[in-house]
Amino acid sequence: MSREALQESLSAVMDNEADELELRRVLNAIDDADTRATWSRYQLARAAMHKELLVPHLDISAAVAAAIADEVSPLKAGRGPWRTLGRLAVAASVTVAVLAGVRLYNHDDIAGAQLAQQTPQPANLSVPQVKGPAVLAGYTESNEQANGPMVNGVMQGQAGWQDQRLPGYLRQHAQQAALKGTESALPYARAASLENR
Amino acid sequence: MQAIRLLPLLFSGWLVLPVHADEAQDLLKRLAQAEQQQSYQGTFVYERNGSFSTHRIWRRVVEGKAREHVLQLDGSAQEILRVDGVTQCVSGILADGVSNLPDSPAHVLDAKKLSAWYDLKVAGTSRVAARVATIVTLTPKDQHRYGIELHIDNETGLPLKSLLLSDKGQLLERFQFTGLNTVDVPTDAMLQPSADCKPLEVSKVKPDAAKPIAWRSDWLPPGFELTSSAARKDAAAKSVVTSLMYDDGLARFSVFIEPLNGTAATDIRTQLGPTVAVSRRLTAPKGDVMVTVVGEIPLGTAERIALSIRSADAPVSK
Repeated sequence: MSREALQESLSAVMDNEADELELRRVLNAIDDADTRATWSRYQLARAAMHKELLVPHLDISAAVAAAIADEVSPLKAGRGPWRTLGRLAVAASVTVAVLAGVRLYNHDDIAGAQLAQQTPQPANLSVPQVKGPAVLAGYTESNEQANGPMVNGVMQGQAGWQDQRLPGYLRQHAQQAALKGTESALPYARAASLENR
Repeated sequence: MQAIRLLPLLFSGWLVLPVHADEAQDLLKRLAQAEQQQSYQGTFVYERNGSFSTHRIWRRVVEGKAREHVLQLDGSAQEILRVDGVTQCVSGILADGVSNLPDSPAHVLDAKKLSAWYDLKVAGTSRVAARVATIVTLTPKDQHRYGIELHIDNETGLPLKSLLLSDKGQLLERFQFTGLNTVDVPTDAMLQPSADCKPLEVSKVKPDAAKPIAWRSDWLPPGFELTSSAARKDAAAKSVVTSLMYDDGLARFSVFIEPLNGTAATDIRTQLGPTVAVSRRLTAPKGDVMVTVVGEIPLGTAERIALSIRSADAPVSK
């Protein structure tokens, strides 16, 4: 699938004008770092155009995914826009399934979308546990995506407050653990390693 | 007939599993005991993403009284001296802004409690620091904690190596002895801290701690319990910072709640080896606060905790 087509779909989803196939395409691609970056840029541009307030680097998808994975009742799953997206995803997958099964028209677009949908499948299979309903598996994987940029210790949204306060909190946590009159020297080593920078 | 002959086999298969779990539990019990009673001296390495350090440890237990001295061998000479689990002195940077909570109970590994949240298994044998060890794996039963691989010394029951693993099997940190001597008991000189080791003053947090904490969490990962809470004046923040610490018997996380008083702050998530930090702005009746969760837990879990912190005045949300 071409980059332009994906970006068009992203834009359509954002304007709430996407059809099911476009939505499906976006959902399949949302695990990709570039796509997420584009999405967040579009959000920023949109907020600027509509003169809305926006917290630039807020990405709660991992927390939402964790929450969804835990919930038993599908009614409670998800919050805010993700919930709506989740519902749309169900609708989208049903539509795709019907289209794939019945094959009303031998239409190139549909074949293309199906192919596009099949390409990321191996990635989905590598998820160790299936959490929650199958349709939401794609969201759960965003957990991994969210981890990506931070494994290197790169902080998101560099600003004054966290530069001053966060190291202090990290240290305080490690020290409290180390001083707790504890088992091994491990918490001490953790605390010491924070100072080796 | 065939089926009946196979039945004993089937049952023996069932019997083997609990035996394995019991063996792992016994090893952990032995480990907890060894950590309290064994005298030793040794060197160990600690490694996490972006940091590698070497340390020496001396520990002497006489009539149930333990005296422990740890010193970092490379970089800055960080040091800690503990007597009976109570920290006596720590070196310069380690000591910054630390309060010694007088009432914090000694932390003992409880194998039975752990088995509720982790699958305990004996996973074979290995060799660490020229000693034969048995590997015990602690696999989390949910996604709210990390897995641990412990290599336990066959002779003494001490942990020789400890690995922290993410759910994808990624190594988050390594603690490993490179040499261990359990024969020669450390001498007085070895247990003597250097002059840089500053005595810890016992802070006067007790009256404050008696006051009810104005914050609570709507959701906690199962098995985690509040082990300490404090509200203390933070010089840097110029306000009272509430700190709560939780653990499940093995993993720990802290929650810090700091009034913002109009300071600009953005939400943040970061990971430093095994430790994650999630900060989130929370609108509370008495003004906005910054909620920060720090701990050796997966990022998604930390975020969910940060999202669940509420002011005690706020109504219980569904």
